[in-house]
Amino acid sequence: MRIEEHPILSFKRGKKIKFYFDGKEYEGFEGDTIASALHAAGVKVLGHSHNHKRPRGFYCAIGNCSSCLMTVDGEPNVRVCIEKLREGMMVETQKGKGVLK
Amino acid sequence: MKTVEIAVIGGGPAGLSAAINAASLGAKVAIIERDDQLGGQLRKQTHMFFGSKEQYASTRGVDIAVMLQEELKKYQDNVDVYTDTTVLGLYEDGVLTIEQSGKYMKLKPERIIVATGASEKFLAFPNNDLPGIYGAGAVQTLMNIYGVKPGNNVLMVGAGNIGLIVSYQLMQAGVNVKAIIDAAPRIGGYLVHASKVRRMGIPILTSHTVKYAYGKDSLEKVTIWQLDEQWKPIPGTEKDFEVDVMCISVGLSPLAELLWQAGCKMVYVPELGGHVPLRDENMETSVKGIYIAGDVAGVEEASSAIVEGRLAGLCAAKSLGYANEDFEKMKQEYLQQLHSLRSGPVGEKIIKGLSKVTVQGGI
Amino acid sequence: MLEKTGIPTKEDIKSITPSEERRRKGPVAVIECFQKIPCNPCYTSCKFGAIKEFKDINDRPVVDFDKCTGCGVCVVNCPGLAIFIIDETYSDTEALVKIPYEFIPLPEEGSYVTALNREGKPVCRAKVVKVQNAKSQDRTPVVSLAVPKEYSMEVRFFNINDYFSDNTYICRCEELTLGELRELIRMGYRTLDEIKRISRAGMGPCQGRTCRQLIMQELAKTTGQKMEEMPMTTFRPPVKAIKLGALAGGDDNE
Repeated sequence: MRIEEHPILSFKRGKKIKFYFDGKEYEGFEGDTIASALHAAGVKVLGHSHNHKRPRGFYCAIGNCSSCLMTVDGEPNVRVCIEKLREGMMVETQKGKGVLK
Repeated sequence: MKTVEIAVIGGGPAGLSAAINAASLGAKVAIIERDDQLGGQLRKQTHMFFGSKEQYASTRGVDIAVMLQEELKKYQDNVDVYTDTTVLGLYEDGVLTIEQSGKYMKLKPERIIVATGASEKFLAFPNNDLPGIYGAGAVQTLMNIYGVKPGNNVLMVGAGNIGLIVSYQLMQAGVNVKAIIDAAPRIGGYLVHASKVRRMGIPILTSHTVKYAYGKDSLEKVTIWQLDEQWKPIPGTEKDFEVDVMCISVGLSPLAELLWQAGCKMVYVPELGGHVPLRDENMETSVKGIYIAGDVAGVEEASSAIVEGRLAGLCAAKSLGYANEDFEKMKQEYLQQLHSLRSGPVGEKIIKGLSKVTVQGGI
Repeated sequence: MLEKTGIPTKEDIKSITPSEERRRKGPVAVIECFQKIPCNPCYTSCKFGAIKEFKDINDRPVVDFDKCTGCGVCVVNCPGLAIFIIDETYSDTEALVKIPYEFIPLPEEGSYVTALNREGKPVCRAKVVKVQNAKSQDRTPVVSLAVPKEYSMEVRFFNINDYFSDNTYICRCEELTLGELRELIRMGYRTLDEIKRISRAGMGPCQGRTCRQLIMQELAKTTGQKMEEMPMTTFRPPVKAIKLGALAGGDDNE
């Protein structure tokens, strides 16, 4: 789902980055956010709501709505729509609200 | 605690313009942007801007973002740029609390220009929380910043300028737009934008709204229906669209939390998108030393945001004694530009809204 | 109605159409901007003073068709992409319509595309005569289409390969494409026989066994005729190929 050619913009993608989502290996590019890399790989469901367990994806993509909270490298409640992708990142669907360690 | 003469919160068209003008007059400016780059929403605008050459008409938004940053660089001795930096609070004593890449800090500016922009409004219908239902701005970010398609088939909700422009941008990215719907009986955006997408075969259905969204894990289908003159749905007029993406583009609300915290007098003005602060013609709020510019002062076009930013930057610098013999001339020039941008029929709503919050000769 | 659908009305179009006399003289800009919005690049970009001075930035453009040379500078400067150049002097039967087109791929010069009207509905086939994409146009290429003259004020967009697509084969023996078939139907050929006679579809080695059904379907779709009521062509022997030698040898009984 990457845009390869665009009539107005040229996307200068950085180097490829490997990361893991729920244990499976995925690939994104330097400059991606976690959400953009996951979406490009076809992952739309980023988690489930706490009470009604409804699927959740991002809504605003710029850090306003917090609909995209995930656990990243063990840290819960990361807004993945603005968190930049890094090599080897462990991204997980968040279970529960997260615990203060 | 760090200090600075002028803190500009937000690095979009309004904030950049404010920082440029304030720094060009000699004031020391800190411009604070939560994203990793300056430019704000301009970075997603692939279309040519309206207005006149003073507001970069005929230039694409993405290029205006670059031009404004180049202009800011001319005064780099006077400017500190903080990217990846979010303002968390604005306290009554004028202190800003800030997070920069995980670090917490405080800043005490002598003047603050709030140019935080606006956030996208949401819409109530069953299953509106399904993945695949995104703000139109979110889809712009995904496509035009990250180069990722939101999906294959899109239903656009809202025929204002953003809905029309994002529909066009989706088609440019090779994504199919099935239809644009709007609950209002008339298209809210510029009609040239509407005609531009219409001649590509995208139907624009006014007086239509979403009845229901369907999907297991993510959006699969949307049912819309028609509204009568009282905006009541008409049973039997349902239409289904098999789409994996629905874009919600039903307006913006000013991101005014910091102004509330600072104690600025706020007024609910529907014409301007929600709660906005009282201001004088220098863009100063009821709290002395706090200025505003752009969508946070009232949602309108980026061209006005640029001019408001220039005006707020000029006036904030002046209040610190960075006077310039051209001050009055420049100020009148900006006011004139704003007046002419708003003087036509599409600006009537804005003028009406502004008349409720603009206080002549100081608050 | 424009405000409800995005489609300008006939009256809207009439109000901005240059006179027939002017159109006969050469290329001219047609500005389809029907709303007062704060925008003036058409006026400021025109080097010939052909767009009446904007007293207010919200003024609607008014073209002085006598001054307009049809140069096209305003086309790429209009943020609404609402300006087109029409040139009815292109040939005896065809007009050129120049359309701003910000999509990829760009059509190739010499290829055919489906010309669309203001609703995005197919109007006719159109030849791409020119694709201008100079640096000064800043990523707003302008595509010149040759269309039948009567469509100069109708064609406003195109689809690079859809309705009149030229690599969809209807008749593989005589190589009749869907585009060509649709063009024939548009020109008024309405029966299988007429289409066979003008295009040879059905006269090749397969004798219509691959194309007949497809032509009937297309006729039904575009003209509304019922397939069961369509007059058939004449089926003459031989229904399959036979060697001339075999024919020359005659019947065993002769």
